[in-house]
Amino acid sequence: MLATATGLAFIFFHFVKDNTANIALIYILALILIARWTTGYLYGIFSSLFCVVFINGCFTYPFFEINFSMTGYPITFVCMLIITITTSAMTTKLTRQDEMIAERERKLNEAEKERIRANLLRAVSHDLRTPLTSIIGSSASYIENHDELDPDEKLSLIASIHDDSNWLLNMVENLLSVTRIQSDGHTVAKEPELVEEVVSEAIDRLKKRLPGASIHVTAPDEMLMIPMDFLLIEQVLINLLENALVHSGSPRADLIITNDGGAVTFHIIDHGKGIDASALPDIFSGKYDSSPASDTRRGMGIGLSICRTIVQAHGGIITAQNHEDGAEFAFSLPALETVQQQMKTN
Amino acid sequence: MATPNYTVLIIEDEKNISDFMSKALKSNGYRVITALSGKAGLSLISSQCPDIILLDLGLPDIEGNDIITAVRSWTSCPIIVVSARTGERDKVTALDLGADDYITKPFGTPEMLARIRASLRHSNRMESNSALYIRPYQCQGLVLDFDKRMLTLNGDEIHLTQIEYKIVAFLARNSGKVMTYSAIMSNVWGPFTGDNNRILRVNMANIRRKIEQNPSQPRFLFTEVGVGYRMREDENEL
Repeated sequence: MLATATGLAFIFFHFVKDNTANIALIYILALILIARWTTGYLYGIFSSLFCVVFINGCFTYPFFEINFSMTGYPITFVCMLIITITTSAMTTKLTRQDEMIAERERKLNEAEKERIRANLLRAVSHDLRTPLTSIIGSSASYIENHDELDPDEKLSLIASIHDDSNWLLNMVENLLSVTRIQSDGHTVAKEPELVEEVVSEAIDRLKKRLPGASIHVTAPDEMLMIPMDFLLIEQVLINLLENALVHSGSPRADLIITNDGGAVTFHIIDHGKGIDASALPDIFSGKYDSSPASDTRRGMGIGLSICRTIVQAHGGIITAQNHEDGAEFAFSLPALETVQQQMKTN
Repeated sequence: MATPNYTVLIIEDEKNISDFMSKALKSNGYRVITALSGKAGLSLISSQCPDIILLDLGLPDIEGNDIITAVRSWTSCPIIVVSARTGERDKVTALDLGADDYITKPFGTPEMLARIRASLRHSNRMESNSALYIRPYQCQGLVLDFDKRMLTLNGDEIHLTQIEYKIVAFLARNSGKVMTYSAIMSNVWGPFTGDNNRILRVNMANIRRKIEQNPSQPRFLFTEVGVGYRMREDENEL
């Protein structure tokens, strides 16, 4: 930088005689830039000294002689030194502030992530602890009192253990499914899958848990193949269908699949009590049921927020709304292509 | 009800799971031996000659797949693999190495018993009378006559293409057992068909449209995610 400035100054000096002011200005500019791009005062002070000596030595009469006794020269010298030091100080401060701001932002970001993680963990442990308490309690009371219990009581204890462990299993599978999503939150390994196969798997698995479930499926007759992660979409379907059957108090759930060419939409419709209007805007955020005020342990808070994460990771949209006779959840997945019912291969 | 006196070997390192499985099996008339490690399991297989092996894939001492390979080198005794969910690849590897079927943890007793029944039946059939092959497959009104190459549902004939018939016949012969994509493909199209199972899945979708009322809630042809297909167990032989 100093070399460039010196070079420039020489050119200047060569063309324009007696223009010390301009040369000094060029050096000052160089000094400011040096101060801006380096850290600490040392470079600044060193280069300002260098400048002063150089100006004195090269560009002022008598040339190539160091002579500080010239009229007014000490003033120039002091001025340059002061300019350099103050710029150095200012720019160093600026650089430090920039660093501090960046640092603080990173910390804030991390804190936010940490907060979300902590919230999820809190909600999860709350949701896991309740069924576990009931399992441990029921089994303990069976072990302690099995002589006094009549068969019906025994059966009901075991049945509640069974229910709770099934619920825990679903919870764990939900959490596991999140690990299939890459850490950046919007990429999943997608393979073209047949819609009917996903739906049948989901219903099959749900029926293992809820044997009496009445689910009515309406799907277009064409063969729909859409890119997705099978297990994740299956999990979304299970969560939404279970939601419709268990939480709404609906006797049956309808699953309607529509295809508009660009996207395949799954509508899950129940005929139950609907969604509380005040909860609607927040329903997928995961806050919905994890608040301490909520006493329902079979909260779908985490389930729904996982659904949203999964659908968004597929580039789809998930919505919830009430209709006159219950609630409707819908999610759409972008279709890659529609495999027509063509095929004759021998 | 299962025929009694079959010997089941459970190789499982979790004592609780092993206990629950052996209780369920004993109450259904099977003789049960258990091994808590792969080494113990291998020596029990050679000394006790069980009729069927239930093998957990996550053993502490030996890789489950190595056990399958070792056992398959000298016996065709059916092996049912017990594995955790989401391990599609493991299941396929195990099946391709010679395991007969798999159950996914957690599973219920009825599921386990059904798998054991299906595998035992198929292993018996291979050893003894091939006449069973000729007996038609029959389940809930669906009848497949291997002699006449004819599929009927509630008495109505269903027209299948050559390929579709081959697929259904293969699945029906192995009804109740899972068949991997690669097994079906090499049986229907011959070996060297490649890995792309798309054509098989499209064919399956077409078959389902012919024999299932609602392809989204199938009664006969079930999908095993990432692994293959399973046809509902033949009612004749339950």
